[in-house]
Amino acid sequence: MIPARGAWHGFRMAGILALLGAAAFPLYWMLVTSLTPSSDLFADSARIWPKFSEVGVYADAFRTTGIARWVGNSLIVAVGTTLVSLALAIFPAYALSRFRFRGMTLVGLGLFITQMLPEAMLVVPLYAIFGDLALLNTLTGLILANVAFTVPVITWILKGAIDGVPIDIEEAARIDGCSRLDIVLAVVLPLVAPTLAAAAVIAFFHGWNEYVFAQTLISDQELRTASVGLAGFVGELSTPIHTVMAIGLMYTLPAVIFYLFVQRYVVAGMTAGGVKG
Amino acid sequence: MASIRLKGVTRIFGSKTAVSDVSIDVADREFLVLLGPSGCGKSTLLRMLAGLESLSYGEIHLNERRVDQLPPSARDMAFVFQSYALYPHMTVRRNITFPLIMRNFKWWFHLPIIGGMAKRRIEQSPAVHDLVAKTAKILALTDMLDRFPRTLSGGQRQRVALGRAMVRQPQVFLMDEPLSNLDAKLRMSMRAEIIKLHREVGGTFVYVTHDQVEAMTMGTKIALMRDGVVQQFGTPREIYLNPANTFVARFIGTPPMNLVEARIRGANLQVGEASLELPEHLAKFAGAERAVLLGIRPNQLQIASSSGRGLAGRIALVEHVGAESVIDVHLDRAATAHLEDGEGRNEVMITVAGYSELRPGDPVNVSLDLRETVLFDPASGARMRATDAAHPG
Repeated sequence: MIPARGAWHGFRMAGILALLGAAAFPLYWMLVTSLTPSSDLFADSARIWPKFSEVGVYADAFRTTGIARWVGNSLIVAVGTTLVSLALAIFPAYALSRFRFRGMTLVGLGLFITQMLPEAMLVVPLYAIFGDLALLNTLTGLILANVAFTVPVITWILKGAIDGVPIDIEEAARIDGCSRLDIVLAVVLPLVAPTLAAAAVIAFFHGWNEYVFAQTLISDQELRTASVGLAGFVGELSTPIHTVMAIGLMYTLPAVIFYLFVQRYVVAGMTAGGVKG
Repeated sequence: MASIRLKGVTRIFGSKTAVSDVSIDVADREFLVLLGPSGCGKSTLLRMLAGLESLSYGEIHLNERRVDQLPPSARDMAFVFQSYALYPHMTVRRNITFPLIMRNFKWWFHLPIIGGMAKRRIEQSPAVHDLVAKTAKILALTDMLDRFPRTLSGGQRQRVALGRAMVRQPQVFLMDEPLSNLDAKLRMSMRAEIIKLHREVGGTFVYVTHDQVEAMTMGTKIALMRDGVVQQFGTPREIYLNPANTFVARFIGTPPMNLVEARIRGANLQVGEASLELPEHLAKFAGAERAVLLGIRPNQLQIASSSGRGLAGRIALVEHVGAESVIDVHLDRAATAHLEDGEGRNEVMITVAGYSELRPGDPVNVSLDLRETVLFDPASGARMRATDAAHPG
């Protein structure tokens, strides 16, 4: 028997709420923990509701730690990684999708293989190279290191999207007087905008979350990113749990805001109606 | 004024010759239809004209100016795609204006806000605005200018594609099966619109189709192609009355021309059991006995139920089309040469006016009216010309 429409709807909503809860609960737990006095932290019964009188912990964390600067650095790295990766990936993605050239498979495969190398393996050689190029201890160097990892993924994702743009539309643009560059910028990019937004999300979060390079390539306190700064609180003897949770929440929020801003561009069906079928 | 001259245009893909040595002259304001079955090279030829495909050999001249090395945008030709190829992210107005924007394009038009303002300025300039309004009015798109292509029906999208071609006011319109995605009724009305467009806009049209009805109704000239070779180039009437070979004869006309095996005997033509006097226009072929193929249109055959001076046969199929009926008759003693039917079917198609009461299996007698018939050489399939008369086979 087919369940009634209402029952099916309720069933679906329950499923969505369960998934949403699983994703949101850790964030909520961070909030509750950050607003729990240290004396209650190890109480037998866990606190369910945050104690808002403890909100001063945020002001303290903001004042006493470098969180503002770290988040600022993370933002520079993440935005830089996003912009540079997109700018670098668009043209190879177009070339892989539209041109036939000798060694094409090899280039594609090479991009893929770089994805299989773990970051930890590349840290030492990168450190040596960046030392020679005077890129150690700079955010530019960190951005470049991140870009090296995001560009191949984004290239492949964009190639897939560009494959889906009907060639007729490009030919129409050629007849209307577009150069190759005009076609890519004025016709292809707007049509792959949803994928571009998805690619931006990938690059942004890679730059935002990245830890290994940030820890190794940056030694200056002032240039630390939030991921490294946060880890610095985990001490051998003690960890100020509610401060860490407060900072963690402040570290998470900009990323959530970025995602909320971008996700409205991630809508499918842009190419609908351009060509028949 | 745009005359097009193709000289030995050839396109080879690997080991396959898609277009072979095409030489055609198209006068200004001509409506040339490139006609042929799928895979005959007609679309490739059109794409070479547009500059979307390069030539292996040959030359293309537009008004005595050689254009085959020029990029598509420098040829002053507009192209209408079978798939419409509209820009989905632009409104109908922007789709139509796009070629005009590209004419004055600067690199900084790519910049986000400034570029958008510049493009809008061109769009709203009086000259462009009026031209778009006029075009939209002709194509009945005025109410849809601010909508996106995905909200339009197939016929409306095709009109937008036409509009985008028209605003450029090009010397040549190239169209690649623009109507084949539309349903039959819409196709009829769009066909009329394109003919009207040709009359009003002027310009030279080159139109690709596999539909011989479209070719006959729209074209002032037809180039019928097969396997990359132009089989015949001429006016629709010429091609209909004097097909160059059996392929052309069978391709043009619905139902197609019947090809019946016959023999010339002196001044007579022996078809099956009937011996008929050669009509005046074929009298030059009189002479020694030889085999020929008689090409005869379905409306030049008549059905007489009683026995007479015709070909005996039996009704195989009756199709009622409305104003006329198409009747397949299996001939008892005459053979046909329709390649696509295979051997031994020996059926001819006959059109009769009105609703035929004949039923399959009825014995009939078919009489032939030889006045507009054509003779083909059975070996080569080519139409016999006066020079062939001197060399009886």
